[in-house]
Amino acid sequence: MAGSTAFLAAKGLSKGFFGNPVLKDVSISLVPGRVHALLGENGAGKSTLINLLSGSLAPDGGEILMDGQPLSRLNPAGARNAGIAVVQQELSLAPDLSIAENIGLGAYPRRLGFVDYPELARRTAEVRDLVGLDEPLATPVGTLALGRRQMVEIAKALFRKPRVLILDEPTSSLSAHEAGILSALVLRLKQEGVAVLYISHRLNEVMALCDYVTVLKDGVCTADQPLAGVDAEGLVRLMVGRDAGDLFPKWEPNAAGDLLVDVQGFSSGMARDVSFTARRGEVVGIGGLVGQGQEDFVLGLYGALAAQAASATICGQKAPFSSVGAATRAGLAYVPADRKHEGLILPHSIASNLILPSLGRLNRAGMRDRSAERNLVSDLARRLTIKGDTARPVQALSGGNQQKVALAKWLPLAPSVLLLNDPTRGVDIDTKREIYLMLRSFAAEGKTVVLISSDTPELVHLCDRVTVFREGRAVATIARGHITEEAIVGAAMGVEVREQAA
Amino acid sequence: MSTLSSREPLFWAVQRQRNRGVIGLFVVVIAFLALYAYLFPGLFTLGGFSKFTQNWFPLALVAMAQTLLMMMGGISLAIGPLVSLGAVIAATVMGTAFGVTGAIVAVLLAGLVVGGITGAIVSYLRLPAIIVTLAGSFIIGGIALIILPRPGGVIPAGFSDFLAGHTPAAFGLLVVIVILWKLYLATPLGLGIYAAGDNPIGAFRSGVAVNRVRIATYALSGLLTTLAGLFVAAQTGSGDPVIGTPFTLNSIAAAVLGGVSFLGGRGTMRGALAGSLLLSVMINVMFFLGFPPVAQYIAQGLIIVGAVAIPQFTGRWRRS
Repeated sequence: MAGSTAFLAAKGLSKGFFGNPVLKDVSISLVPGRVHALLGENGAGKSTLINLLSGSLAPDGGEILMDGQPLSRLNPAGARNAGIAVVQQELSLAPDLSIAENIGLGAYPRRLGFVDYPELARRTAEVRDLVGLDEPLATPVGTLALGRRQMVEIAKALFRKPRVLILDEPTSSLSAHEAGILSALVLRLKQEGVAVLYISHRLNEVMALCDYVTVLKDGVCTADQPLAGVDAEGLVRLMVGRDAGDLFPKWEPNAAGDLLVDVQGFSSGMARDVSFTARRGEVVGIGGLVGQGQEDFVLGLYGALAAQAASATICGQKAPFSSVGAATRAGLAYVPADRKHEGLILPHSIASNLILPSLGRLNRAGMRDRSAERNLVSDLARRLTIKGDTARPVQALSGGNQQKVALAKWLPLAPSVLLLNDPTRGVDIDTKREIYLMLRSFAAEGKTVVLISSDTPELVHLCDRVTVFREGRAVATIARGHITEEAIVGAAMGVEVREQAA
Repeated sequence: MSTLSSREPLFWAVQRQRNRGVIGLFVVVIAFLALYAYLFPGLFTLGGFSKFTQNWFPLALVAMAQTLLMMMGGISLAIGPLVSLGAVIAATVMGTAFGVTGAIVAVLLAGLVVGGITGAIVSYLRLPAIIVTLAGSFIIGGIALIILPRPGGVIPAGFSDFLAGHTPAAFGLLVVIVILWKLYLATPLGLGIYAAGDNPIGAFRSGVAVNRVRIATYALSGLLTTLAGLFVAAQTGSGDPVIGTPFTLNSIAAAVLGGVSFLGGRGTMRGALAGSLLLSVMINVMFFLGFPPVAQYIAQGLIIVGAVAIPQFTGRWRRS
């Protein structure tokens, strides 16, 4: 039906990275005068789909059609010339150029080979008014606030008079006023017959603006339908739910021990006024969309980011800690999300990565104690089933085994609180299972695990309690027995989802 | 306020904005110039002014050459050897049937070609500019020594007198170069330098031909550098295969003094010119104050560190 009149259509697109399929047989049609919502959790494949549609990536299978004609080799320049404009989350602006020079970048009006400044001023003034920017056109973009830059980015897309406009979470950095201007603009473009693809995590925005919705889950299209008659709760249900299989270990809740982490009104970085507790024997999850202050909160606990708190006690000591050293001495350990840069020294051997945190204690009269180091390494390798020669560089290991090394190196310090940031991202299933077992057994020893995760099933099946962050605040704490994917995703998006009988 | 400023043409409004960051520097330069003029009143005679601008001219050129690259996120460690190459080509060709005109063409062509090749290697092979130009500095230095193993060659007296005699020809040439630069910056390719330095991925996505911008920029930078070599040859009356060596680090020093960022994007030609002028006047002033040469070097280093540190600190204070 709509396929015949679509400006831009994709049929059966698939794309994988390093053997992992990210998109499987996805089709979508962008029709003139329709605002099309694209929804999905983090990692569902939304960005990959946008990159395919805008020519930044080439599909492994399937085809992209413009006005019904297949586009064989689409690149960013070709997509732009065909009238596809993308407003991506990472801005494409040059901070040292002025607003006008940024809006026209790559498409300057010319006269005798020079940039035609009077013409540029006239044409950029038009789109500037559309997005409600009132700063002078000569203002360097670097002096603008983030939300204003986003508006410049949108003006830049409009400058090229697109037929298809793709907006990737355009409102995440906008104020309420700016978001209102954008909504009006989207409706106006719709009137003018532009096809709009709108990606947003703010479901109320989607409900208000969009006519049609495509939902992606784990790279598969789970819904492709008009939005009329679907409510926000229904959208959340379309985005979640998958077979957990026997990926997760069976576990029984441990007897509640004393409070190891007890912070009230804790603020660090993006995290604002967070109250959070964790007891001995618990795995406490931290969920929410990526980048809502979860990492800043945990870094604040770990003394790596300056923090203030109304009251804070961690491991019986007064917090916030002023340094990572103080936190480590109190019994905290932190495994960062970016294991390749923060968690490990990739070119060094497995053994030297494993002993790094213990070097301070494994010495005799200030000299390294090689035999004690060897014992430690072989003990850790056995406990974590790291096979093979520990003299190999860490970078020779698979992602999963690298993560095991990044975790294992902290065990000799016997931390009582283990802070983990997305430990299973990019990790194979077998290793995931091993990591889950390790976390539960760590808790069973009467210690505490605080687990940030972007993988919602992981939070559901592994945690005693889950705190959900949105825009820097802990917006919900979900107790055992009530932890469902619907509850977590609903809280992350600000939608109340009623519990449903299975 | 937008209605007020919209009466000013966009082009000039943009220029005015770019001036903002370098006003402090202009004040310092004027202060040093005043001190210099006080110490050496001869500055205001035609001969004094000519000599002063001639001393400044090659440094101004290499500072511009380095600034072009640094604005784009690049750098060159081959500036010095390329100055030498320009000088030896000038001194070798001027003695042949090609004469002065042939020599000028050969020098400028050499700069464009060497710069263009460097730019192509940096953009297409994606090698770090600092390594490519380090290797380039040995290769170019070697070629200069092959062309002219020891100082010599022929520079006609008339040519030397015209450029480096008692006329302000060097200053006039500099004015012409600055005007050409302003014109270049008003082209899409010129503005691309800022975009490619600030946000190469964003520039690429916006349809800027980033590789073409890079290669053109390296070629222009090479052109300015060999032009400095031509002038040095005229000044000394001969070609010297190692005369350019100090220019590599001085060009970076002048660019940094002029507020050019190592990270790309930030920086202006007027800043680079002011930076090179400041460096040039500083050396002259210290000479007149009777600093021993060794102390001059140390003072020069301290001033450069200070010049870079002060904006950093004031920026931090303003933020907190």
